[in-house]
Amino acid sequence: MPGSRFWIVLKEELGRLAEILIAVLVGFVIAGILMWLGGYDPIAAYIAMFEFSFSDPYYLATTLSFAAPIMLTAITFAVGVRAGLFNIGAEGQLYMGALGAVIVASWALPGPLYLPLAIIVGSLMGAVWGLAAGLLKVYREVNEVVSTIMLNWIAFWVVEYARVYIYPNPIDASKTISMPPAGRLPILIKGTELSASLIVSLVFVGIAFYLLWYMVLGYEIRATGLNPSAARYGGINPKKAMLWAFIIGGIASGLAGVCEIAGRPPSYAITTGLSNLMGLGFDGITVSLLGANHPFGIIPAAIFIGALYSGARGMQIVTGVPLEMVKAVQGIIIIALAVPGIIRLIRSKIRRGGVKVV
Amino acid sequence: MNDIIVQMKNIVKVYPDGTVALRGVDLEVRRGEIHGLLGENGAGKTTLMKILSGLLRPTSGEIYIAGKRVHFKSASEALKHGIGMVHQHLALVPAFTAYENIILGLPSREASRKKIEKLMEETGLKVPLDALVEDLPFGVRQRIEIIKMLYRNVDILILDEPTTNLTPIETRELFHTLKELKKRGKTIIFITHKLREVLEVTDRITVLRRGRVVGRTETAKATPEMLAKMMVGREVVMKIEKKPAKPGEPVLIVKDLWVKNDLGEWAVKGLSFAVYSGEIFGIAGVEGNGQTELVEAITGLRRVEKGQVILMGKDVTNKSPGELYRLGLSHIPEDRHKLGLVLDMTVSENSILGIHRLKKFLGSLLNLKWGVIDRHARDIIERFEIVAPGTKAPARSLSGGNQQKLVVGRELSKSPRVIVAAQPTRGLDVAATEYIRKLLIKMRDEGKAVLLVSADLDEILQLSDRMAVMYEGEFMGIAKPEELTEERIGLMMGGYKMEQISSKTSPQPVESR
Repeated sequence: MPGSRFWIVLKEELGRLAEILIAVLVGFVIAGILMWLGGYDPIAAYIAMFEFSFSDPYYLATTLSFAAPIMLTAITFAVGVRAGLFNIGAEGQLYMGALGAVIVASWALPGPLYLPLAIIVGSLMGAVWGLAAGLLKVYREVNEVVSTIMLNWIAFWVVEYARVYIYPNPIDASKTISMPPAGRLPILIKGTELSASLIVSLVFVGIAFYLLWYMVLGYEIRATGLNPSAARYGGINPKKAMLWAFIIGGIASGLAGVCEIAGRPPSYAITTGLSNLMGLGFDGITVSLLGANHPFGIIPAAIFIGALYSGARGMQIVTGVPLEMVKAVQGIIIIALAVPGIIRLIRSKIRRGGVKVV
Repeated sequence: MNDIIVQMKNIVKVYPDGTVALRGVDLEVRRGEIHGLLGENGAGKTTLMKILSGLLRPTSGEIYIAGKRVHFKSASEALKHGIGMVHQHLALVPAFTAYENIILGLPSREASRKKIEKLMEETGLKVPLDALVEDLPFGVRQRIEIIKMLYRNVDILILDEPTTNLTPIETRELFHTLKELKKRGKTIIFITHKLREVLEVTDRITVLRRGRVVGRTETAKATPEMLAKMMVGREVVMKIEKKPAKPGEPVLIVKDLWVKNDLGEWAVKGLSFAVYSGEIFGIAGVEGNGQTELVEAITGLRRVEKGQVILMGKDVTNKSPGELYRLGLSHIPEDRHKLGLVLDMTVSENSILGIHRLKKFLGSLLNLKWGVIDRHARDIIERFEIVAPGTKAPARSLSGGNQQKLVVGRELSKSPRVIVAAQPTRGLDVAATEYIRKLLIKMRDEGKAVLLVSADLDEILQLSDRMAVMYEGEFMGIAKPEELTEERIGLMMGGYKMEQISSKTSPQPVESR
């Protein structure tokens, strides 16, 4: 069934590639100037960054392990955009998914049941969290940007509370109960952090692609996003399509949360202040914009951002660029990457006079 | 050549997308005349006048105003030379008063209420200066625009299809004003496609067709037949071959229907009618008299407040569009860009909008069978002679006529029992128009019921077996087209009920709410 149609769909998005590459370049140049002003050698720093992200299997594995969860949270944002939404709730949905996995980890179960149950409970909790924003949007006309930001914080404190008071780790107070070994995703390359969560992510990205372009629900979601009035005329209920987009997005981020618990050594748990989860949802927005909100654009984009994270370590070790500078560098690159996507989104919102549900 | 105030020589306009709008047009307008610029949709009338008023720059060609060569870079430069244009879509701020709109953009020392009042006195163009524009009818708004131009010392006034949204009475008033302005030495260029109007009000006429001048004449020497021939380039008026209708059962029944518009006002006020299988029931009327709301209510896109819609014997009041399609309704919407198509989706994707959940398009995973769908799209393309780069091209890449054919083709591919067609040929060229009209007649001959809503009176008269004229949410009368004279239709469009016209007493306007 793919064949020619497959390429057409892909080609639609290819035009944006140049724009994206320019943004990356701009990001690197500005970041380089910043490093130079700070008295560092930007060239050496970038070489170190590259070496520590791709140069040997260990680094590559680290890069990919960072890429896996943000691929999923990017899907949350991308499916939202396809439905005409600006769903930035991946962060909270991911927390809820991780909590779901921890809840399952706290149960006494036969070994093989942990993983499937964690996946089901975690993605359901993510979906519920997404659906909450969806219901507010569709029935009470609450802008999804506002509701998802607030739901992110609610999720943060709910999960943080659960970490401290319901599921604390009896041995190590800095984290929750860990996923029992029977429920963990296998490590793909020994001695690295790369687990089968990458496979889970890639499979889900594939499912998202199939859903959006080959299933009737995806057709309805895309029609709603591109022209809600025409969708309604075409017998599509735009409210329903949007709710589904929230649900699918919630599942993706919930799954990302599960993968962080079941597939990320060494803790296999939620750590203090959700430090091992924080930011993964927001990184998804960057990844999605960078990948032109297309599932197949998201894969390389996630690997790129993953490489930045893993390369940052190398930059710090080799050139002495302090951690703070590393974060600043990442921020600039990310902003530069996001600019064209955001401009386009704002422009299309203005052109359409805002996305409205009637 | 002192009396030639506007001279345009060999004007060519090629738009950035390659569309050639003007292919070397010469135009001469004399001082103090009303000059008619006649032509069909797409003839280039508006483009030519946008060039004259500084909104567009010609690709090549020369413009002389009172014998002096000019190069306008903006509308304000043209205004300095005394040229002003009143557009079809008026450029007024609804939340401002008439007065505020007239002085908008002028330095405050030039804003003088007294001068405006004097101007109104002199020209007979009266508007309530303190009323908000949004509360005023279209005819008055247009007058405000004209006063705005005159207040800026415009000598050459361009009016683009000024009568489109006017009632016959308002039109008469406008013509009276134009003649007054002429007496006062103003030059007026009147863009229109309406033969009767151009004959009534102008002194000389230039006829455009597809970006070329095809004729110039003194109005006194012109006949409607000759102008029509120049305009369309062949003997008009297209009379479509039509067998007598064989109406069957009533398949669409509307009973005492009440519908509100977006502002919450009553737009449809207790309409009742039936459409029979095998007939075309036409609804004529000036746009904005509730036709849009009526169509939306019947097709499930707008809430019915009171009353009933019965389709194929079933009460479908306030049912969703999807349910209506399943019962055999097809809807050719008046706005193909907003409703009929998702422009960024492909031809294939658009070819199933509304029928995308049909079993034949769905696989076992609730997946869309693109092979079947592409074939369906290709089928529509062939059957309806659509020019498209392919089934995978975005609908946006098709021309307007082909987009409309795609919509019509899709709707007819649903094998409907009832077709609701709203403004089905708006903005289309002659060939596409004729094609779609013939198709509607074919559908009627196949025993389908067609509800045709159109602001194009010719279309209604040509196609309808029975017709109604809608005015302010009500029908002024239902009759067979051949029973009605144009005058009677015109009166109905202006708010007189058929009974009132028939009785020989002096007609009284219907009270508007």
